[in-house]
Amino acid sequence: MNISIDYHAHNNKLSDYNPQFKILLGILTLIICLISQKPFIPFLISLIMSSIIIFKAHIPWRFYLKFIGAPLGFGVLTLFFMAFFFGTQPLFATSIGDLTIYQDGLNLGLLVFSRMVGSFACLGFLTLTTPLNDIFSQLHKLKVPDIFIELALLMYRSIFIFIDESDRMYHAQQTRLGYNGLKNSYHSLGLLASNLFIKSWFKGEKVHLAMESRCYQGELRSMNKYSSLTLKHVLVLIFFEFSLILGLYLTSGLKLI
Amino acid sequence: MHIMEGFLPPEWSIFWYLLSVPVVIYGIFRIKKITQEFPESKPLLAVSGAFMFVLSALKLPSVTGSCSHPTGNGLGAILFGPAVASVLATLVLIFQALLLAHGGISTLGANIFSLGIIGPLFAWLIYRGSQNAGLPLSISVFLAAFFGNLMTYVTTALQLSLAFPLPSFGAALSNFMLIFALTQIPLAIAEGLLTVVIIEKIIQIRPDIFERLNIFKIKSVEDPIIEAGK
Repeated sequence: MNISIDYHAHNNKLSDYNPQFKILLGILTLIICLISQKPFIPFLISLIMSSIIIFKAHIPWRFYLKFIGAPLGFGVLTLFFMAFFFGTQPLFATSIGDLTIYQDGLNLGLLVFSRMVGSFACLGFLTLTTPLNDIFSQLHKLKVPDIFIELALLMYRSIFIFIDESDRMYHAQQTRLGYNGLKNSYHSLGLLASNLFIKSWFKGEKVHLAMESRCYQGELRSMNKYSSLTLKHVLVLIFFEFSLILGLYLTSGLKLI
Repeated sequence: MHIMEGFLPPEWSIFWYLLSVPVVIYGIFRIKKITQEFPESKPLLAVSGAFMFVLSALKLPSVTGSCSHPTGNGLGAILFGPAVASVLATLVLIFQALLLAHGGISTLGANIFSLGIIGPLFAWLIYRGSQNAGLPLSISVFLAAFFGNLMTYVTTALQLSLAFPLPSFGAALSNFMLIFALTQIPLAIAEGLLTVVIIEKIIQIRPDIFERLNIFKIKSVEDPIIEAGK
């Protein structure tokens, strides 16, 4: 398994940009995407966010296509599902069986599809440009309990170690035909998981020892290297979000189908 | 099964957030109390959370030929109890949204409710219930993980049909349930089997770990998993 999102979050042109601004931009735009009642603005948002991701952050477009591919596929499925089954006003009957495309179902499907694509682009902007440590240090400012953030930071560190470890165990089992057949697969996967749990447990104890020996007092501190928002950031945010809201207002009367 | 980013209408995202947050806060308070009493439990909880994340990313072979991922919430609930498991599940869900783009920020509340609260709660209740009924450990573990997984999907189906009650709530629910029943019952069985293998192997290899698990539990309850460590 590989977590390339994390790699890209640390290695893109926007990684060192003010995280507060990035998070606010991502979340506020996401909210606008969700409250939209027509599909136009969410589609516009997905275009804007995708171009920021590809042209500003320089995330490889092949990777981004793969990233956005999953929700796109799922969204198209939802669109068809809703158009065929979720409506009362028939738009036209198809010749395949007695399937009917419903007008209201199609409208709803398009709206949900656009919201998914738009908000997924916002999520992508957030996760692909902002390293997780920055996100957690911002959560700290939002008064999220320290214990929660500490657990998250410790977890974040351990995840990669365990992924390495589970990969190694998986390959070792596979070279010994551990995944040959369903029964073997279960046995091997169970062994892998229980071993991983045991190893992770002892690693946890060692981490605690290591922390204790470095004067751990029940509190982890991390350095915050970023200043807070400047006036320019605030103005850009207000201008961008308000033009989107204006767009929502202007498109609310338009009818697609 | 995660509800994808942007799938839920805003009022429902907020609704599920409002339901989930108090439970998670309660779990955080419990963890705070436990870690104050036993400082060594903090890294243990963190690595267990990381373990649940990695477990949920493993591919689980299923009878129908498709692949899915174990949710791990049955295991979490059996080992740590539902309150602590809900916090761990919340952390796992945040990492899944931010590192793997599974689920999302707006649907986090709904996903916490189904995967982090209802799943572990049912798993724990059934585990305790079948233990009190005197069933063997492996069967109670299987039942707990099976129903924990299944209830997660039932909750997800409920959430989806509440959000899109078209043409009516009942019709939408039966639509979603039908889709899930076909794919999820085999997966729930798979998860149940896997959880049994995991617990039995840990008891067999390192029973002493379970003694340490005591700290997460209510002391008076008799639990064969803790007994195994003594």
